[in-house]
Amino acid sequence: MPASPPLFTPAVDGRRRRALISLTPLIDVVFILLIFFMLASSFLDWRSIELNASQRTVGGSSMRGALLVEVRQEGVRLAGRGLTPEALEAAVRQRLEEDPDMRVLVRPAEGVDLQQTVRVVDLLAAAGAGNMTLIRAPEGTR
Amino acid sequence: MNFQPPRPRNDDERILPLINVVFLLLIFFILAGRLTAADPFPVVPPSSATDGAVEADPVTVLVGTDGALALDGVPVEEDALLAGLRQRLEDAPGTPVRLKADGAAPATMIVRVMEKLREAGVERLRLLTVATRT
Repeated sequence: MPASPPLFTPAVDGRRRRALISLTPLIDVVFILLIFFMLASSFLDWRSIELNASQRTVGGSSMRGALLVEVRQEGVRLAGRGLTPEALEAAVRQRLEEDPDMRVLVRPAEGVDLQQTVRVVDLLAAAGAGNMTLIRAPEGTR
Repeated sequence: MNFQPPRPRNDDERILPLINVVFLLLIFFILAGRLTAADPFPVVPPSSATDGAVEADPVTVLVGTDGALALDGVPVEEDALLAGLRQRLEDAPGTPVRLKADGAAPATMIVRVMEKLREAGVERLRLLTVATRT
């Protein structure tokens, strides 16, 4: 009974014998795996911003004692005054030093996209705001 | 002196460097990438500079640019979304909810979705963003 050849033959006397399994199918499989992982994996660096769920404001009760930041296409307004982003951050930081738990309401205007709003929310988070809520103007008013 | 590498003896030895490189690439993609389920419609999240951690929250709500909604990767209508969310929150109150919205979507539309989520009983939610490229 002849001895079956070993699966992978080690080099003998500096010479390599022909292996039973050739490398070509292995390479095929590895290539297919490589292409699968290249296409299926995502390299996005996800972050998250904690927000309070918006509540439809009824009257002015929930607005009291809160900072209102309006995001408009032409700029940012804090309590009705237009501000540069740096001034907004400084002003919010100062107010939060007085009351660290103050609510900050962010109200994007009509036509502002989420990216602009997130930029302002970023500024507010950098200024230390932890209790942020996105709201919108009541229907019918601009 | 002879710096020439020895000539490979057969085909197998000739493609060994190729296999090495391909294996390295394969291991890089396995380790560095993250396998995620594809979204039912394209959502390009807004970029932000905050470094809030992303935890694996059990409920994810997707909002597309045109107001299309999906709950955990399944496209649904608004009523079905709210009913599904109410059901989840009844089973496990206080479940955190992730909101994955398109950065180009109008912010007022996102706020309207947030109001609906609030009506369904969601108190806190996390808005998903991607890190700003620096």
